[in-house]
Amino acid sequence: MNQSTRWERLRSNRDWLGFWFMLPTAAFLLLFLAYPLGLGIWLSFTDARIGNPGKFVGLENYEWIIGDAKFQTAVFFTILYTFVASVFKFAIGLYLALLLNQNMPFKAMIRAVILIPFIVPTVLSAIAFWWIFDPQFSVISWSLRQLGWIDGNINFLGDAWNARWSVIFANVWRGVPFIAISLLAGLQTLPPSLYEAATLDGATRWQLFRHVTYPLLTPIIAVVMTFSVLFTFTDFQLIKVLTNGGPAGATELMATMSYNTAILGSRIGEGSAISTAMVPFLLAAIMVSWFGLQRRKWQQGEDND
Amino acid sequence: MNDKRRFTRRDALKAGVAIAGAGALEAANLAAFAQAWAQASRWKPEKGAKLQLLRWKRFVQAEEDGFMALVAAFTKATGVPVTVLNESLDDVQPKASVAANTGQGPDIFWGLYSLPHLFPAKCMDVTDVADYLGKKYGGWVPSAVTYGRSGKGWIAIPVGYNGNLINYRQSMIEKAGFKAIPQDTAGFMELMKGLKAKSVAGGFALGRASGDGNAWVHWALWAFGGNLVDAKDKVILNSPETVKALEYAKEMSNHFVPGCAAWNDSFNNKAFLESQVSLTNNGVSIYASAKANAAKDPKAKEVMDDMNHSLWPVGPAGKPTEFHIAYPMLGMRYTKFPQAVKAFLAFTLEAENYNPWLQAAVAYITHPLNAYDANPVWTSDPKLSVARDCAKRTLTAGGLGSVGEKAASALADFVILDMFASVCTDRASIKDAISVAERQARRIYR
Amino acid sequence: MTEPAALARPGSREDESVGMSYLSTLPQRLVTLYLPLSIIMIVLLFPFYWMTMTAIKPKNQLLDLDTHSPFWTLSPTLEHIEELLFKTDYPLWLWNTMFIAVSATILSVVASVFAAYAITRIRYRGAQWIGGSIFLAYLVPPSILFIPLSTVVFQYGLFDTPFALILTYPTILIPFSTWLLMGYFKTIPYELEECALIDGASRWQILTRIILPLAVPGLISAAIFCMTLCWNEFIYALTFINTTSQKTVPVAIVTAFTDGDQYRWGSLMAGALVGSLPLVILYAFFVEHYVSAMTGAVKE
Repeated sequence: MNQSTRWERLRSNRDWLGFWFMLPTAAFLLLFLAYPLGLGIWLSFTDARIGNPGKFVGLENYEWIIGDAKFQTAVFFTILYTFVASVFKFAIGLYLALLLNQNMPFKAMIRAVILIPFIVPTVLSAIAFWWIFDPQFSVISWSLRQLGWIDGNINFLGDAWNARWSVIFANVWRGVPFIAISLLAGLQTLPPSLYEAATLDGATRWQLFRHVTYPLLTPIIAVVMTFSVLFTFTDFQLIKVLTNGGPAGATELMATMSYNTAILGSRIGEGSAISTAMVPFLLAAIMVSWFGLQRRKWQQGEDND
Repeated sequence: MNDKRRFTRRDALKAGVAIAGAGALEAANLAAFAQAWAQASRWKPEKGAKLQLLRWKRFVQAEEDGFMALVAAFTKATGVPVTVLNESLDDVQPKASVAANTGQGPDIFWGLYSLPHLFPAKCMDVTDVADYLGKKYGGWVPSAVTYGRSGKGWIAIPVGYNGNLINYRQSMIEKAGFKAIPQDTAGFMELMKGLKAKSVAGGFALGRASGDGNAWVHWALWAFGGNLVDAKDKVILNSPETVKALEYAKEMSNHFVPGCAAWNDSFNNKAFLESQVSLTNNGVSIYASAKANAAKDPKAKEVMDDMNHSLWPVGPAGKPTEFHIAYPMLGMRYTKFPQAVKAFLAFTLEAENYNPWLQAAVAYITHPLNAYDANPVWTSDPKLSVARDCAKRTLTAGGLGSVGEKAASALADFVILDMFASVCTDRASIKDAISVAERQARRIYR
Repeated sequence: MTEPAALARPGSREDESVGMSYLSTLPQRLVTLYLPLSIIMIVLLFPFYWMTMTAIKPKNQLLDLDTHSPFWTLSPTLEHIEELLFKTDYPLWLWNTMFIAVSATILSVVASVFAAYAITRIRYRGAQWIGGSIFLAYLVPPSILFIPLSTVVFQYGLFDTPFALILTYPTILIPFSTWLLMGYFKTIPYELEECALIDGASRWQILTRIILPLAVPGLISAAIFCMTLCWNEFIYALTFINTTSQKTVPVAIVTAFTDGDQYRWGSLMAGALVGSLPLVILYAFFVEHYVSAMTGAVKE
């Protein structure tokens, strides 16, 4: 040990080891994440097209998209979509988690089956929804007609607001299992003695939920919802398959608009601007979700502010 | 009668069964011709040449079969193997753009409208092929010249057009009191009203249907004298004519079957074949599909017997303003085998190859060279003869303006289609829809 | 409504619901538990039922809702599935997707094992910060990065090859699996490593001989979740791969079943159904690992 060579010391030096251990991850993230991110920001300041590197044009792409009614609609709908879908996913997910937390037969199987919408690739379930929402051949329209509740077919994807609700529904359908199972795991870590003590003191079920369950779940809720908001905001697949942004751009998300502009419309610079414009919104959405849902003081037993 | 060796089981039932019988004979003729042609052709493929061709996925099976027969004959004649890749219609343009950008990919692209004009510098100059074909076969139709030329030379060969026609059910228009499709816009509106009143409404696609949607909205715009740009590429969309066109379309959309705003190119086919819509616009693929299934499906037979095609009505503009799809074939400059590419392009439009293919395609493809007016497919089935003059009647992408990159961008961005869709679905007033489209157009046409 | 809790049994931590469930009666449970649960389950599973029904319905029954009930079929047929498996390139797409998913998962798990170990155990200078910054990777998800990344993929000569995806998927997979593995590694008692260190073992040996064997459940969870994420990825696969024969299953099914303007509905649904099966089968075998993957990361 006295004669430890420089090499041996180096080998056990934390920073040296740390560097080598981190290298694979760093390589992937630098080459395929950081560099493209920088490139994307650069591209948004050029008028690059497919087949043409383009030249620097400053803020022109941004000026254009800010004034573009289609972009404004896309931003509006992306925010609406994220907010509404997240609220529903949270409410239904939490409710489902509370249901699953109770004692019932076949619990493990039910829990396993519940996750299937989340496992299956989104686009494949989107194809099923596409048909379920078909303007002429929808099974929902047919069933409601058979029951006599409606006369004609429901125009699920052809009317602007119907289309919006339809895609929100599909998104909620897909996201609820993830939220439910994650929150369920959180519920299962809550000590039962708290519930017993509270019930002894005469708490109703609602009070139990509001004062015991919910505050203790808050950190998990914050994490799960932040992920959910992130994935919903940057959703691409569901809209692309179901409506491709139609009718007339009513369900366009920033992600699909970016794809259509850059890849189908060949305007890389403008598409990159739309993509880059997503980042501040995304950041804001995550901040709201993360900090809004955290109530650290609850955990430490202090008064809420 | 069924030459099962050349076609798969599936195909034996499809349209073109009659062709198959003739096909065996044709194939023999084809091979003989091809050999002779290869000897005499101006463009001798390079040694060891191999070609890769990317085309839009077929709409009519028999058309693809005819095309593959042509390709096989070419390979036999010249020894050049040709791999044919199929991509969905909307994917051809991005893939071609990507190939142009990276300098590698298929040697030949077969796309639509003004694809070659997106990257004219990357396309092979094929002026010699075009001149040869034009001289030999009665000259090119005017729109082919517009689509094929860029500057002084040709950068693509418009190998065929697809006619987008009114598809209608005879029994249903008779219910509404009409014997044929009125050839003026006012009469046409009466027809649509009548159809809706009798619960057999028509419908046109308002979703991002790059084929059918674009076809009808451009017809409507031009029929009333509206235009995106003038001959100098200046944006003139904001005009009273455009307003009239939008008003007409809005009125008409009130009489559509519900759900058209969600239609892409396939929905009207599906609905028409199930008798859910009495009138729509499409190529002859609906008819071809009905015919193919008529033998085993009585519903399909009913549709086939009852339906017909018609030309579009003429509006206040006073002349036909139809918008049919042009399918140009272009060679990429990065190809290692330019002579082979030219040989192939020329081969495709030689009578001995093109005629059988036109027939196999049962009017899905319309010719760009005048000599092919004589092809028997135009007289074989009266329901198909209206498609003969599509290439002559069509206006070009970009309307009055250039058929280049800007027109292609405007189509790819659905500038006109979205304008009509937002008015017809009440998402925007006419004035707002025009100003949004105008702003987009100004940016594209700077 | 309160009831005496004098008979409360100490419920296990795993399933605390046992402790209190005696308090509710059966009719009450029927309404507040079983009914809503059934409704939710029906809604969640109906699209799959629909997919299955449509995939086995004969062609002429597919669109004719009035004569043939959409909810079941009396003459199921395997023709769509047959067409899918034998007349399209589906086996090829399946191979592509599996190859890409497995390769990307292996790369990601290996990289994250090293990273997670480095952050939790080696604790080099700035480890916490770097650990945090890995998760910033999620701030730039694929739908933001795909445009410049496609240019980068061209530049590296990877366009239209499976390697375009194998090398880009880790950017999505590594942050998550690092996070997960960090959680697992933290539960391994440090004393084991201390002893090994004292005995002169190198970090590498510690990692391979001690940590990894103990973290196998975590590794499986991470691998399963990564596989699922790979299958679910769409925008990179759509943008970077052009040739139909190179496509992955989700992209191929969405783009390859049109004959111009006619969709082959039966095959489309069969494709959607069969495309979902590999993941569902994988999931069925590893449910517990999957759930612990989700919850393990979330609890961090």
